[in-house]
Amino acid sequence: MDEFLAPRILIVAGKGGVGKTTAAAALALIAARHGRKVCVAEVDRKGSLARLLGGRTHLTYEPAELTPGVWGVNIAPEEALAEYLEVQYKMKRISRVFTSTHFVDYVATAAPGLKDILVLGKVWYLEKNRAAGTRHDFDTIVLDAPAAGHMLQFLSAPMGLSDAVRVGPIRRQAEWLVEMLQDESRTRVHLVTLPEEMPVTETLETDAALRERIGISAGPVLANAVYQPLLSKSETKLFGELADDGSLDELCGEANEVGLRLEHDDLEALLGYARFRDARRSIQQKHLKALKRGVAQPVLELPFVFSAGLALPDVELLADVIEQQVAAL
Amino acid sequence: MIHNPMVEILGAKEIIVCAGAGGVGKTTTAAAIALEAARRGKRAAVLTIDPARRLASALGLKELTNDPTKVSPRKFTAAGLEVEGELWALMLDTKTTFDEVVMRYAPSRDQAERIIANRFYRNISSTLSGTQEYMAMEKLYELHADGQFDVIVIDTPPTRNALDFLDAPRRLTDFFESRVLRWFLFPYMKAGGGLMRMANVAATTFLRIVKRIVGADVLDDTAEFFANLEGMYDGFKERAGEVARLLKSDVTSFVIVTSPAADSVEEATFFATRLNESGLPFGALVVNRVHPRFGEDPIDPKPRQLHRLAEGGERARLLARLLENEEEFRKVVELEERNLDDLARRVPRHRWIRVPYLEIEAVDAAGLRAIGERLFGPAA
Repeated sequence: MDEFLAPRILIVAGKGGVGKTTAAAALALIAARHGRKVCVAEVDRKGSLARLLGGRTHLTYEPAELTPGVWGVNIAPEEALAEYLEVQYKMKRISRVFTSTHFVDYVATAAPGLKDILVLGKVWYLEKNRAAGTRHDFDTIVLDAPAAGHMLQFLSAPMGLSDAVRVGPIRRQAEWLVEMLQDESRTRVHLVTLPEEMPVTETLETDAALRERIGISAGPVLANAVYQPLLSKSETKLFGELADDGSLDELCGEANEVGLRLEHDDLEALLGYARFRDARRSIQQKHLKALKRGVAQPVLELPFVFSAGLALPDVELLADVIEQQVAAL
Repeated sequence: MIHNPMVEILGAKEIIVCAGAGGVGKTTTAAAIALEAARRGKRAAVLTIDPARRLASALGLKELTNDPTKVSPRKFTAAGLEVEGELWALMLDTKTTFDEVVMRYAPSRDQAERIIANRFYRNISSTLSGTQEYMAMEKLYELHADGQFDVIVIDTPPTRNALDFLDAPRRLTDFFESRVLRWFLFPYMKAGGGLMRMANVAATTFLRIVKRIVGADVLDDTAEFFANLEGMYDGFKERAGEVARLLKSDVTSFVIVTSPAADSVEEATFFATRLNESGLPFGALVVNRVHPRFGEDPIDPKPRQLHRLAEGGERARLLARLLENEEEFRKVVELEERNLDDLARRVPRHRWIRVPYLEIEAVDAAGLRAIGERLFGPAA
């Protein structure tokens, strides 16, 4: 576990809708359980991170404690720019001009990647405990990165910027960010995916690009929402026999024994859900196999959570599972 | 007769816009709609915004380009589908489309070329948010005006917020026209005209800082770009107006695509409201990836009963596992229903089509056919 939590910056990345934010929340909990003071950051988004960690409001640029040991921030490029100008140029008032107009849009268009650099710059500040006006000294920073397509652009921004900006402070700072990202003792990326065709294909491409284009170290991949097997081998065999013979109603007798009345419709439901799970699971297993074949690092499997809306207890459970699997590596 | 809103749309509309959050199956839905149109004898085109390589191969194409490519009907005959009409597919190339727009509105070829060679301009198509949406609408307008197709189905960019897509043309013209921008760039463009420079000390201070941050050449590019763009705003604006009119007209229909997940339902609800406010014609709501429902009422065994079964013989234990599984899936199904109830307040249920989580995988010809059957009823 110490090795797993060794880098201070953990970047959680993946395609939209694969449960990146949930994974980021779980990693933050794990780090906090091991005595780290954690800052979990989302990027320019009012996402569900705060809710998943039991917080009540949206995240802001100011860190707020969500659950013991875990603080949350929302990094908006505009605010990161204002902070940058304040720290770098002692410009408090004029910075409002920068943040209140299309300004960031213009500059970001003129120098693509600037927004990303501002966000990564904030992470750098947090790592260096230099965030203006705060007295936080975080041990671990978990970054819920932008969705995959944009993510490579996001992480390669510091390298790309050197093309647009040849001299000056920004250039120097971009170089610091490249160092930060490429130092495996400081930064590690965890890709999150679903065991489905498109997300897995995209994960394999992203994984290769991370290594080849960005030179960033990648930790275990998190495969999310994996259906666990429903039945043991002998149960599967028995179930198959009963279903094939059309003698599932024999189960009604078992139910009667404990005072439960099963109608025909109920048997259909039991059969339907069992088959659905089995069909989904075998599709998932096929894609998990492709994922495991395609990446060099271990793949951790997070179970499908049957829940009426994810909340902190579910995230706690996922954190347990990750811890167990990491311990077994 | 069962009323199917999708069948109605396909019979009457020339433009079908599939909109919704990312990851809900918009591209696949758009392709299935276009395929169905072709099956019904129309010349149909699907314009996708996503770099959907998987869709291309599902259609038997090596790649999709900015120009329509005809899909060979053999691909579908193999999957048991007779396609009487034609199916064409293309993928938006934002940069190329933008170049064409610049060519059209620039007063001279020289000026167009200067703009296209400008670095700031080159960055716009890849970096500036809203550009892709704007160009998607531009391409759609062009295809429609061209008259080559009976129906054009388009998916929208995976914007985080549906608002982005509806506001894109206005946001982009705002961006080009912002007074603030001119105020900042004015002294820069007139550099050397001493009086002007002095007139705007604040602006020069501002520029000095910007220059320190991004470098002087970046600012030069920016100033040159906006100088060259002078005189083209009216063309942009007029076209944006025409596109807006086309989208509001009765040849167009919006299909909102969602999944039953809370965040995409939230977005779909918001989008339905925005369509309504903006006077854009809503056609149908497609709810993808719905968990199937088996049996009418939950079985709802008591924990005590489950416990006794789990302690019992082999059959009893099997039953316990099956009951637990049913209970777990019911939770998911109920959550999805609750999420969708919010949406029902905005979009009446008779305009809904549900596409359950298919147990087979969707992205191939057979998959498109299966989805098409869910959307339009079984193929006749």
